[in-house]
Amino acid sequence: MSQLAEFTQQKLIRKPILAMTHVVYGYPSVTESLSWMRRLLEEGVDFIEVQFPFSDPVADGPSIVAACHKALEQTLDVDTCLSQLGELARDFPESRIVLMSYLNPMYRFGLEKLAKRASEENIQGLILPDLPIEAASQYQQACHRHNIDPVWLVTPVTPTERLTMLASQASGFLYCVARSGVTGHSSHESKAKDTSLDDYLALIKQHASAPIGVGFGLRKRSQIEQLIGKADIAILGSALLDAYNQGGQKAGIELIKELFH
Amino acid sequence: MQSENGFYGQYGGSYIPEILFASQQQILTAFEEAKQDESFLAELNKQWQQFSGRPTPLTFCANLTEHFGGAQIYLKREDLNHSGAHKMNNVIGQGLLVKRMGKKRVIAETGAGQHGIATALVAARLGLECTIYMGAKDIERQYPNVFWMKQLGAEVVPVTTGAQTLRDALDEALRDWSSSHEESHYLIGTSCGCAPFPEMVAFFQSVIGNEVREQSVTQFDQFPDRLYACVGGGSNACGLFLPFLDDKDVEMIGVEAGGKGLALGEHSIRLSHNLGQPGIAQGFATMFLQDNTGQLQETHSIAAGLDYVGVSPIIAHLAETGRVKMTYAMDDDVIAACTLLLKKEGIIPALESSHALAGAFKDAPNLPKDSKIVINLSGRGDKDIFNVAKAVQDETFPEFLNDYLASYPTRHLDNQEQN
Repeated sequence: MSQLAEFTQQKLIRKPILAMTHVVYGYPSVTESLSWMRRLLEEGVDFIEVQFPFSDPVADGPSIVAACHKALEQTLDVDTCLSQLGELARDFPESRIVLMSYLNPMYRFGLEKLAKRASEENIQGLILPDLPIEAASQYQQACHRHNIDPVWLVTPVTPTERLTMLASQASGFLYCVARSGVTGHSSHESKAKDTSLDDYLALIKQHASAPIGVGFGLRKRSQIEQLIGKADIAILGSALLDAYNQGGQKAGIELIKELFH
Repeated sequence: MQSENGFYGQYGGSYIPEILFASQQQILTAFEEAKQDESFLAELNKQWQQFSGRPTPLTFCANLTEHFGGAQIYLKREDLNHSGAHKMNNVIGQGLLVKRMGKKRVIAETGAGQHGIATALVAARLGLECTIYMGAKDIERQYPNVFWMKQLGAEVVPVTTGAQTLRDALDEALRDWSSSHEESHYLIGTSCGCAPFPEMVAFFQSVIGNEVREQSVTQFDQFPDRLYACVGGGSNACGLFLPFLDDKDVEMIGVEAGGKGLALGEHSIRLSHNLGQPGIAQGFATMFLQDNTGQLQETHSIAAGLDYVGVSPIIAHLAETGRVKMTYAMDDDVIAACTLLLKKEGIIPALESSHALAGAFKDAPNLPKDSKIVINLSGRGDKDIFNVAKAVQDETFPEFLNDYLASYPTRHLDNQEQN
């Protein structure tokens, strides 16, 4: 079993569902984003998903896009980011940090080097939403070599055959997008009627041996409660960023308490 | 040009969020079937002819030829398409494909507004809903096009993220598509994006080169010695060049936008002088203008249609293999080329196409007198009236604008009541 999967399983003995909170690295500044991560880890969140910003984040909605663009007003460096995350990972051994970004900045950094450096800093999972599994063999091999997990995404409109394939290849955890569209609130709310989340998660569970994380559009306690028993990790992204933007760390922590405690 | 599983050498591919996988596969299948289907091709040809006025002429330019004293200069008149640009070839093709797939809505991104208008025209004709994403800054610069899109019934959404130009509009169109893929088709305007878009757009645009093959033989008994096209996204270049790929004696020259200078942010040169670097973004791999950390950068051109950070993976590949030679033209040379064509031949070229003119005019004097060159005049220049007036420092234009404003009914409500 992968390091992340084992960690998840251990934690689930004591909790009904784990919390993964999302932070944009460098927003509003590197120091402030690191301080926010530290605060979240002190609060005991199980995972932090750190997004390394890209100029053209096509899978993200307005909150995260604006944060990424703000963060990119300074020059950000993948290697430094990993070192800083490594320090947090060492200080908080009861939590895990995973790195999310888009392909281009990671491709420029080098996917082999990324896997190696992530592993050195105990960042055990990587999420690249615009790298489809068909184009990822080198990346998969690099992750395997360095014992970290490439995290794959599935969606409510992923054809069953492909969903089965992705679920069977999942390690670490499988990132299940809860609905069509981009992250957070946006003008692009889907008009299509997705299959019921319960049916979708049940189907995934049949095929995935890895833990199941659910994200996109989670903002209410009732949504988290609905996931208990059907998913292992609830991923809180834009809602947390919106709270942070409105009331800083304090408002962010309040939201987490409201949703998870 | 057939791709290898969506790739042209190291460029192309399909790098899209998982949510779009099924829709992308649907387009892939629909396009593969449609291009083999005689009835689809017959309808395509009919619409090209009856709606857009194809075939477009190949025009000999006697005065320019004499002026330069070198190669004999011909223009492929894509400016004479309905909507005034080659964009029409592609939107008609994809519009028919949308009907075939049974979708009800199209989404498109637009920079200058040419592709936006072309999409809105076809959507109106085919009875499709239409949403156009356009950078808020481009909307300011190109309001006349926005006006027509709205009059045609399209919804024009200003994009206020990032630099608020074409690249941001493309990102936003992809975001819309991520949530609306079941009923909407993303009608990409150039031969970029995930597979099969580069191949599909190039396929629809190849009507340009296919016509030149026939027209050149009819008009001067041989294929052209050289072809020139401007390269923004790359669709008009693909359209002219690809049908001649196997004719080794036909040289091909792509002209990028040199803008104001070669510093990052002042130009849109991706394929020569090591200014662009390989990258993967906006759904595909190509040469992008980016910094060392892989962040895409701002671009500039006097021609909004060339002001793009990436380039067709097909052209990137052909440039890498040397089949297409790449050069660039600076903003000033472009205005000079535009002015020369106006004066010598009585044709108003788009500033995009004027890059191809500038590139060709540089070479023409040094080419043998019996050689024949074809320049793709991809669009007409009426849309550039404001930019060209400013560039040639026309003194009366501001006066006209002031008078127009003074007589414009400012009380909006009164105006509506009159209607």
